[in-house]
Amino acid sequence: MKRIAVGTEKGAYLLTGSDSSWAVEGPLFPGWKVTAFGETPDGTHLAGVGSNWFGIGVHRSNNLSDWAQTDSPPAWPEGSERTMEQIWAFHSDGERLWAGVAEAGLFTSGDGGLTWDPVPGLNEHRTRDEWSPGFGGLCTHRILTAGDRVWVGISAVGCFRSDDGGITWEAKNVGIPSVDTPEGAEPPEIGYCIHGLAQDPTDPARLWRQDHRGMFRSTDGGDHWERIEDGLPAGFGFVIWRHHDTGRLLTVPLHSDANRVPVDGRLRAYASDDEGDSWKIAGTGWPDAAQFTGVLRGAFDGDESGVFCFGTTGGKLWLTEDTGESWRELEPAFPRIAAIRILG
Amino acid sequence: MTVSVRLPRVLTETVGSGPRHEVTGRTLSEVLENLFTAEPGLKGHLLDETGRIRPHVLMFVDATRADLETPIRDGSDVQILQAVSGG
Repeated sequence: MKRIAVGTEKGAYLLTGSDSSWAVEGPLFPGWKVTAFGETPDGTHLAGVGSNWFGIGVHRSNNLSDWAQTDSPPAWPEGSERTMEQIWAFHSDGERLWAGVAEAGLFTSGDGGLTWDPVPGLNEHRTRDEWSPGFGGLCTHRILTAGDRVWVGISAVGCFRSDDGGITWEAKNVGIPSVDTPEGAEPPEIGYCIHGLAQDPTDPARLWRQDHRGMFRSTDGGDHWERIEDGLPAGFGFVIWRHHDTGRLLTVPLHSDANRVPVDGRLRAYASDDEGDSWKIAGTGWPDAAQFTGVLRGAFDGDESGVFCFGTTGGKLWLTEDTGESWRELEPAFPRIAAIRILG
Repeated sequence: MTVSVRLPRVLTETVGSGPRHEVTGRTLSEVLENLFTAEPGLKGHLLDETGRIRPHVLMFVDATRADLETPIRDGSDVQILQAVSGG
């Protein structure tokens, strides 16, 4: 029995089941956008919610049905010119909890998300005044950790890495085309619209990056990046996800930044079984009818048993239970999907 | 001054409180500060980082649009509404 948490523009939904039978519970958090799910180091579930009217909130639950809002979500200091617009990501490193937010920032919690501390080395980075938003805002949306090394993705700023547990940070974007620099110009330190990050936990220096400007790989912890798009119908997209048991990489390509739907409406996940050297359509089950919809960076998740699921901006869920060999669409239709979490 | 504060349902469900709170204060600002003492999770939903009322939150004292400096009389009715906007 699996559970799939679905975060949408209008509340969250919880699917419980397997094979052809899935029960749907919800909406949870009616009236709120649900933008991120996570777990604390002790296994408590987290949901990040937001509202165009009432700001953000963090909720905790031990059973996914009963949730309690915390009193102190990540917040900029009172009087700050920055606004807390959205929680984009939670990440547990086994001891500390991390949260990436918009307006772009990184926060940590040592008490399971009840209280949060800003990470000043990143939030007040010497380049901060030059940070510019992407179409989705100025947001810290991806967090990876391996020992004292921490990587974050900030749009439209780039990848940053800390080698000392988050105290100091360096931009890591060599090899990526900038989004705001003319061809032939000296590559800037920042100004890169990173969309997604994935990592090999057995060799954390191996990273994959879905960027605004294409799909890339690093074998040196992000110091250098190389383009890897052989077999993809387009380099653009938001998702990069790695199944650690098999090393299979998955993405959902979209036409381009100006046309954020699948090429010719052919909604497909693409897989790579050779570390990104080549890509092919992942398995079977894809629709013949055109699907002019997108898949956002937080809307793809999977587990080690081989259950992968993604949600679309059109509110549909696609599921595989065999590591991506056969896919099917699940009912019902939901509002625009921003976050997916597979739970055992 | 003791006043009654009514909250929109979306917030009472979020913080797990009732729809009506009895709070003291001489101005709307003091009323809110005392409300936040009882329900800390409400503060970030009603005020922004600068301490101002969020742009899409409307507050009324005795059915008249109010700001943080609005004086409160004993028994006043404070109603907080979500502006109608969005899709």
